[in-house]
Amino acid sequence: MERRNRIVNLICYLFLLIILLATLFPLIYTILSSFKTNMELLSDPGRIFPERFTVDNYIRAWNSDSLQIGRMFINSVLYTLGCVMIMLIEASLYGYVFARGKFRGKRILFLVFSSLMFINLGSITIYPLLEVLASVKLKSSLWALLVYKIFAIPIVNIYLVKSYIQSLPIALDEAAKIDGCGFVGIFFRIIRPMLKPIMATIGMLSFNSSWNEYLFPAVFTMAKPEQQTLIVGIIALKNSSESAVSWDLMFAGTTISLIPVLLAFAFANRYFVKGIAMGALKG
Amino acid sequence: MHGKRKNVTKEFGNLNFSEEMACYLILIVPIVGFLVFILYPYLWAGKWSFFNYTGVASQTRFVGWENFINIFTKDKSYWHAWLVTLKFTMLKLPIEIPLALLLATILQKDSLRGKGIFRSVYYLPSIISVAIVGAIFSNLFDFRGVINSCLMRFNIIQRPIDWFADYSTSMAVLLTASIWLSFGVNVLYFMAALSNVPVELYEAASVEGAGRIRKFFSITLPMIAPVFQTILLLAINGTLQTGEFIIVLSNGAPGGTTFTVGAYLINAFVPGFATGSPNIGYGSALSLVTSVFYCLIAVAYMKVSTRLANNS
Repeated sequence: MERRNRIVNLICYLFLLIILLATLFPLIYTILSSFKTNMELLSDPGRIFPERFTVDNYIRAWNSDSLQIGRMFINSVLYTLGCVMIMLIEASLYGYVFARGKFRGKRILFLVFSSLMFINLGSITIYPLLEVLASVKLKSSLWALLVYKIFAIPIVNIYLVKSYIQSLPIALDEAAKIDGCGFVGIFFRIIRPMLKPIMATIGMLSFNSSWNEYLFPAVFTMAKPEQQTLIVGIIALKNSSESAVSWDLMFAGTTISLIPVLLAFAFANRYFVKGIAMGALKG
Repeated sequence: MHGKRKNVTKEFGNLNFSEEMACYLILIVPIVGFLVFILYPYLWAGKWSFFNYTGVASQTRFVGWENFINIFTKDKSYWHAWLVTLKFTMLKLPIEIPLALLLATILQKDSLRGKGIFRSVYYLPSIISVAIVGAIFSNLFDFRGVINSCLMRFNIIQRPIDWFADYSTSMAVLLTASIWLSFGVNVLYFMAALSNVPVELYEAASVEGAGRIRKFFSITLPMIAPVFQTILLLAINGTLQTGEFIIVLSNGAPGGTTFTVGAYLINAFVPGFATGSPNIGYGSALSLVTSVFYCLIAVAYMKVSTRLANNS
C-alpha cells in the first residue's frame, strides 16, 4: 500500500511538471530567442538556447523606425498609469457610495449598472463612441480613450469594494459621525485607509488589463501612430510586410512588453491570486 | 440654512439631505457614462440597423427590416462564424475544464512540495496580453517556426506543416493557444472551491474505506457543484466572446474560415481592421442580433444548470 502510494505520488508530480514545462515553453522560447542573431533565428529556429548571446536586437529595436519602442513604452506607461488611477479613485468611491450611502434610487441604479455585466454590444460600439467624443471636440487619440475610461463603469470592482466595505464594522462610521464627520469625510478619514488590501488587488488587476489592452488603443491611435502603445505597435509590426524579415525586432519587442507583467507577477503574485479567486467566488 | 436642512430631513424620514446630494454628486460621472456610452450606443445601433450606412451621408438610405432579413437568409459567413464559435467552445471546454480540475485536485494535497510555484506558473499565461499570446503562438507555429523544426527533428513529420493553410490545423493551433492561455485561471478557481470542502468529509470516507476516485465522485464533485456552475458559465462566456485573440493569431486563416463571431465582427466592421468602407448599418443589425444571442445562451445555461442542480 505504502509503495503504491509513492508511485501514485510520483506520477502526479510528473504530470504537474510536464504541464509546468508546457506552460513555460512558449515564454522561455520567446525570451531566449530575443537574444539570438537574426541569422540564427531564420536558419535554425529549432534551437532553443542561442548559439551566441547578443543584445543587438534590443539596440536595433530601440533605434528602429518601424518599431519605436522607447516612445511606445512611454505611451504604455502613461496610459496604464492613467487607467489605474482612474480605476482606484472610481472603484473606491462608487463602492463606498453603494455600500454606505443612503439615497433614493440606489437599488435601481445598482441593478442597472450590474446588468452591464451581461449586456454587451461588442466592437460596433466604437462608432458611436468616437462620434460622442468628436462631438465634444475630442479627436480619437490615446488621451481621448482615457477620457472615455473616466466614464466607464467598473462594475466588477465596484462589487468587490462594496462587499469589502460592507464587511467593515459600521460602528466606526457612526463614531466619526458623532465627532462631526460628514459622508465624504468618513470616506477619506475612516474608510479609505482601511481599503488598502483590496485597493492593492484592484490596482494590480487594473494595471495588468490596461497594459495588455489591444483593440481600443489600436483603433484610437489609428490616425496617430506616434501614440501607439507597445502592444499595439508590436502587433502592427507583425501585420506589416516587414514582419517576415524582422523576427529580431518582434522577439525583442515582445519580450520588452512582457517585462512589466512578469515583474508584477514576480513581486505581487498574491494580489493576482486573491483578485482572481475573489472574482470567481463572488461572481 | 440650518432650518431648511432640518425640514428636508423630516420630510424624507432618515434620509440625510447633504449625504444624498453627496451620493448623487459622486455618481454623476458613471450615470452620465451610462447614458452616453452604454445607452446611447444601443439606440445608435438600433437606429442605423434600419439603414444602409457606410459613413457617407449621400449614400445613406432607409432599408427597413432588410438588414435583419439578410442576416437570417443570406449571410452565410456570419452563421459559419457561429458554427466555428460553438465548435471552438465544444472542443475547448471538455479539455480545459477537466484538466484544470485534475490539476487543482492534485495541487490540493498537503504533502505536495512546490505547490505555490505550480499554481502561479499555471496562471501566468492568463496575465499576458491576448494579442501578445497571439503573436507568440503565430511565431511558434510559423512555417519556419520552432514547432515544425522540432517535429521534423524527431521525425514525426517529414516536411514542415503550413499550420494556417488548413482549417483543421489552424483550429488546432487556436485551441492549443487558447487552452494554454486560460486553463490556469480555472485551476485557481477550482482550488478556491476545493479548499472550501470540509476535511471531515474526506476523513469519514477514509474510515469507511473509500478510495481516491470514489471520494472524488461522491464528495468533491457534489460539494463544489455550485462553484463549478459559475466557473463553467465564466468559461463559456469567455470562449464565446473570443475575438481579438483570433484576429491576431490566425486572422481567420485559411480564408476567413476560423473567425469566431467576435472576430468576424471586428474583421468586418471595426475601423482599421475592416477593408473598404463597411456597411455600418448592417454591422449594427449584426451586433444587436449577436448581443441577443449571447444573452440567450447565458440565460439558457443558467436555466439548465439550476434544473440539473435541483434534480440531483
